[in-house]
Amino acid sequence: MSLNIYGQNLASRLLIGSALYPSPQVMKEAILASGSQVVTLSLKRQNPAAKSGQQIWHYLQEIVKQTDGHLLPNTAGCKTAKEAVTLAHMSREIFKTDWLKLEVIGDDYNLQPDPIELLHAAEQLIKDGFKVLPYCTDDLVLCQRLYDLGCEVIMPWASPIGTGKGLMNPYNLETIRLRLPDATLILDAGIGKPSDACLAMEMGYDGVLLNSAVALADNPVLMAKAFGLALQAGEQGYVAGIMQQRQTAHPSTPTLDTPFWHQS
Amino acid sequence: MNIHINGKAYPLSHETHISVSSALTLYFIEPQQSTFAVALNGDFVGKADYGTTMVKNGDSLDVLQPIQGG
Repeated sequence: MSLNIYGQNLASRLLIGSALYPSPQVMKEAILASGSQVVTLSLKRQNPAAKSGQQIWHYLQEIVKQTDGHLLPNTAGCKTAKEAVTLAHMSREIFKTDWLKLEVIGDDYNLQPDPIELLHAAEQLIKDGFKVLPYCTDDLVLCQRLYDLGCEVIMPWASPIGTGKGLMNPYNLETIRLRLPDATLILDAGIGKPSDACLAMEMGYDGVLLNSAVALADNPVLMAKAFGLALQAGEQGYVAGIMQQRQTAHPSTPTLDTPFWHQS
Repeated sequence: MNIHINGKAYPLSHETHISVSSALTLYFIEPQQSTFAVALNGDFVGKADYGTTMVKNGDSLDVLQPIQGG
C-alpha cells in the first residue's frame, strides 16, 4: 500500500531529512538505501559566491531524480507566522513545489512548536495555495484545528527534535489517530530507533519523518535500510490486526491431554 | 546610505535608493547562475520584481540558498 500526500501516491512511508550526515555522499547513499521518496531541506542565509549551497542543491536534485521523489522544504528557524509565510514563498520560488513542512518554533530549549503561530501561518499559507504539512505537538485539539483549516497531512512530534527519545506519549498519539481517521498522520521528530518507527506504524500512522536517527547512526546507510524494514513491519502488523491485550495468562499450548504429572 | 545584506552593512555614498537587482550585484559574483531567493525587510520579493523593487537607506535584504534540513 502507498502513502498518499495531497493526492500523490508514494511507495515508501518514510520521509527523510538531509541534514547532519558525515558527508554529502553518505547522505545520498543513506537516502537511497532508505527507499524514501520525500526528502526535506531548508533555506539559509548564504552568499551564493561561496558555492557550498549549490553543491548540496545539486546532490539533492540528483537524489530526487533517481528516486522519482519529492522535495519537502521546511521553515526551520521561524518563530512567527510572518517569518514562516515569507520563507514559504521563498522556498516555493526556488524548489518549485507547493509542499511545505511548516515549522514555527515557540521555545528555544526544546524546540517545541508554537501552536498559535502555527495555526495563523497554516491559515495564510493554505490561502496562498500551499499544501501544508504542519509539524506540531501531540495535542489532539491543535491537530483537529489544523485539519479543519485544510491541512490534509498532520505531523505531530514523537518527542523534541533530535532527542531520539522515541514516542513520549503514546496515548496522545493513539488518540489523534482515533479521532482523525481520515487525516494523513506522519510522526515527525524525536524518533531514535527503528522500533519507534515500527510502533508508530502499528498505531495506524501513515508514515514517519526522521533525520537524526539515520544521520547520527554509526552506519547511516545500514540504519536507513533498517528503518525502511521497520516501517514495513509495523504497517503490515497494523493491517494484519493486532490481538487484544488480556489481563490474565492464557496457555498457548493446548491443555487437553497434558502429561501425567498434572493429572489428579 | 547604508543597506544590509544578510546582516552585513554595505555603504552606498551616492544613491538614495537602488533596485534589488543592483543591490544583489554588490553581493553576488554570478547571480544569474545561482539558486537563491530574496526577502526585503522580511517580505518576499519574487524574481520578476527585482528590477522594480527599490532598496532604501536602512533596508535589509535576506538572500537565502538551499541547505540540508530535517
